[in-house]
Amino acid sequence: MELLDFARGPALTIAFAIFAIGVAWRLSSLLFTPRPHRRAEAREGTPSDAKAFVRGVFSRFIPHKTYRDVVFANHLNAYVFHIGLFIVVFLYRPHILFIEGFTGLSWPALPNTLVYGVGLVTVVSLGVALARRMTNPVQKILTTFDDYFSWALTVLPVLTGLLVVNGIGARYETLLALHILSVCALLIWLPFGKLMHTFLFVLSRGVTSVRLSRRGATF
Amino acid sequence: MTEPQTVGEMLARKGISRRALLRYAAWVTSIMALPSSMTRAMAQGIADTKRMSVIWLSCQECTACTESLTRSYSPTIDDLIFDFISLDYHEALQAAAGHQAEEARLKAMEDNKDNYVVIVDGSIPLGNMGYSTVAGHANADVLRETAEHALAVVAVGSCATWGGLPKADPNPTGAVSVSQIVRNTPIINISGCPPIPEAMTGTLAHVLAFGQIPELDHLGRPRAFFGNSIHDRCYRRPFYDKGLFAKSFDDEGARKGWCLYELGCKGPVTYNACATLKWNGGASWPVQTGHGCLGCSEPDFWDRGSFYKPLPASTEPLATPLAAGAVAGVAAGALASRAAKTRREILGAMSKPKDAADTTDKT
Amino acid sequence: MEIHTDHHAPPPLTPKTDPVPPYDKQGDMTDEERVDAAFKGFVKDFGQDVAIHMEACIHCGACAHACHFYQTTEDPQYTPIRKLEPFRKAYQREVGPFAPLMRMLGIDSRPSVEELQEWQHLIYDSCTLCGRCTTICPMGIDIADLVKSARHGMYDAGLVPDRLSKITRNAEAKGSQFGTPEEFIETANAIAAAFNVDIPINKEKADILLTTAPGELEGHHKAFADAGKILNKLGYNWTMSSEAFEATNFGYLSGNRELQKRLTTALIDKAVEIGAHTVLLPECGHAYGAARWEWNLWYEKDVPVKVLHMTEFLDQEVGAGRIKLKPVGNTATFHDPCQIVRRGGLTQAPRRLLKALGIDLIEMKDHGDFGYCCGGGGGALANVRAAPLRHKVFDLKRKQIEDTGAERFITSCGQCRITFERGCQETGWDHPPESLMELVADNMID
Repeated sequence: MELLDFARGPALTIAFAIFAIGVAWRLSSLLFTPRPHRRAEAREGTPSDAKAFVRGVFSRFIPHKTYRDVVFANHLNAYVFHIGLFIVVFLYRPHILFIEGFTGLSWPALPNTLVYGVGLVTVVSLGVALARRMTNPVQKILTTFDDYFSWALTVLPVLTGLLVVNGIGARYETLLALHILSVCALLIWLPFGKLMHTFLFVLSRGVTSVRLSRRGATF
Repeated sequence: MTEPQTVGEMLARKGISRRALLRYAAWVTSIMALPSSMTRAMAQGIADTKRMSVIWLSCQECTACTESLTRSYSPTIDDLIFDFISLDYHEALQAAAGHQAEEARLKAMEDNKDNYVVIVDGSIPLGNMGYSTVAGHANADVLRETAEHALAVVAVGSCATWGGLPKADPNPTGAVSVSQIVRNTPIINISGCPPIPEAMTGTLAHVLAFGQIPELDHLGRPRAFFGNSIHDRCYRRPFYDKGLFAKSFDDEGARKGWCLYELGCKGPVTYNACATLKWNGGASWPVQTGHGCLGCSEPDFWDRGSFYKPLPASTEPLATPLAAGAVAGVAAGALASRAAKTRREILGAMSKPKDAADTTDKT
Repeated sequence: MEIHTDHHAPPPLTPKTDPVPPYDKQGDMTDEERVDAAFKGFVKDFGQDVAIHMEACIHCGACAHACHFYQTTEDPQYTPIRKLEPFRKAYQREVGPFAPLMRMLGIDSRPSVEELQEWQHLIYDSCTLCGRCTTICPMGIDIADLVKSARHGMYDAGLVPDRLSKITRNAEAKGSQFGTPEEFIETANAIAAAFNVDIPINKEKADILLTTAPGELEGHHKAFADAGKILNKLGYNWTMSSEAFEATNFGYLSGNRELQKRLTTALIDKAVEIGAHTVLLPECGHAYGAARWEWNLWYEKDVPVKVLHMTEFLDQEVGAGRIKLKPVGNTATFHDPCQIVRRGGLTQAPRRLLKALGIDLIEMKDHGDFGYCCGGGGGALANVRAAPLRHKVFDLKRKQIEDTGAERFITSCGQCRITFERGCQETGWDHPPESLMELVADNMID
């Protein structure tokens, strides 16, 4: 039980602090980085930068039909585990209680058994993503330690979560502690590796959309 | 008339039938989840053995453990104390007082060297020995002395097993558990605040009948009583599985008897037999009264966050590190980008854009 | 019986190819100096957009599926984002999350000189800055722009393909890669005389400053003459300048920032000087990228000059009814020049012009903002080493063009035209592209 106390208390506090510092540091250092020059005068009749930014963030959720066939399987799988992670993290009752514990916010949950199923699908989908990374020549050549490490830290909380709810491998409190600790590890690493795309996709899509939109080009 | 040598002889003389003994043995084996074939062996074991000498030491305690034991359903306290065991020393229950009482303890220790059982309730103060003394002797000294030649020490209640309420932060008396004092004698922990009476009597009956300590968990507790979590045996478990939770103590869900998980029930991480044995002769138990489990049989349960905070919630206020971290992070980011800009300039910035003002005068 | 025991297998006829891609070096820097120069060159570009994009990649590999060089070779080394590996390393060393730690521990994770040499092939030969990868990236990373940035460090390190470097040096010496002002005047007058067009040069005051590209002065003479013909027909007060005629910008393509600045400011300053409100660019793709979308790099304040691409200009004139066209009445397909369409935003302008010409446009499978590059952009055409890759892309393009079954093949970039003309020479394919502007010039109604 001491492990669980550590996990529920100091570990989460430390992880949240590092997560917050990391995310704020990475994002603010990007936002404070000056652009080296002014932007060129926009083409007449193009949308405002703000509009282009927002539009860009949303438009890139779906690949253009030109590419739909080549990226279909990979995007589909990515959608499965992204949505799966979202459901498991934000629509599982105990997790809502966790968030409510420090935000006071609460919202309706999905039935637990449904979330367990989603968790299982998510793990399988992450497995497929890993298999592709290890076999696809293009992905192989791009892969770094960060990719495997981030993958492991993403799949671990889901796996340990499934172990907790099914009581496999150890006593409940041990599994719960490991689950919370795996979340701590994920939170601590998130700002410093590729997982930062959780936040960066907004900026990354936005700035390119603004750049191209000012020219009157499609993003 | 000679003194009866065994429990069996004594029972026979008192007119208690062998059938009654068998019934008792059957009950104990069942609550301890022993095979039913053990019933006869247990009855035989109890009948053949000498009444066991028991010395009960009370340290920093509230007497609730004794209260719990004296309300045990079956066998009654009379049966247990006067029929199976010889309670040679118990400050609250014994008739003797003063020097007589202390002599009784020392005599029992001498007469039954290596064969008596010590039961302890309450935690032992180490901060200042004066916090709890008996006959001028500090609890720790008496315990050490008494435990040295005991067959086993049974720590009953969460004070004796983990330090208990006296040990709660900031632990003003420097309270410790029995296991931190007793080193060379086997210890059986029967935790709970108070412990379930049947857990105490059943364990004693097991030691009496078989002369052995029952199987213990990693915290030294008999698996028979502490092997399952409250959550696993809870009659409200089906509501948990269905996702039906009481959201407050007086809402519709609470009235319908739904799961109390969201109201802070610690059942999933608490190991005890409340859900199966219940209390007061099977009348009820905390969860049945509509309140979540506090986790009283687990170490330091009073220092593990609010009783009403749901298990998944952190025990510390996470909004603080989040907010403070975000502020610190933004400051760090501002500094980092400034430093990076300076470094870029040092490394030779792009040539400065030209000022077009001098060429735009024609507009 | 005679048994040959001394029989040796003949040596393989094809010489073993060097596994390390070819690279060129300029200058006599030491390796250490090259690494240092490249690193500093990269670092100068780490502004906000670059920083955001260097952080955002998730290594999904989608960009490979947009790149014509990967599509035609299926060689994973051509995965667009991988072309930025040395740039990324410099970023990680300088700005990335662990940069302070690496610097503190003295870990030199800057790209090695071998790496830089190897990547020359990827940063120059196999990237045309066409930006198709930008349109597939789920993170919206503008890979094309990053490769352009990476070229700055490569140029500073003297690690540019020799041909590109030579053209760049030429442009540095003469103010144009074509030649000196005198050579320009001579050639311009000769073309004007041959096509019987009046080409005003060095007028002191004019509203429009017309610019040109070496391709027009050296080969596409009709395009040069037709630009003048159109402006004369419209009756504008326009001129060319012997000091500011060069619209192509090899500083932009090679990574030579100083040259890029010099060439762009020459145009803008001249326009301001003669009171021109418009700098009119020829049918040239990257000229548009450099002059229209990057002139702002070199000025702190706005200038009272508009930079227009020829296609854009013609679209405006036709739209305003100042140019009337007689219908051509053929079917045609249109090759979208990347810098004008995908990167320039002029997707509809050429289509409106084709419609005005009464041409029935049959689109290729991939067209508009998602059309494939000709394979010769971004300096690849000038880079002889890139020829084999370019020809593979030509095959891809040729198939898409043939599949339309269109009678005509039209485009609006001189560089694309030359790339296709070279492809035609290589393969004997008899379908060179026509200039959209020339079609307009040929079909104006008096």
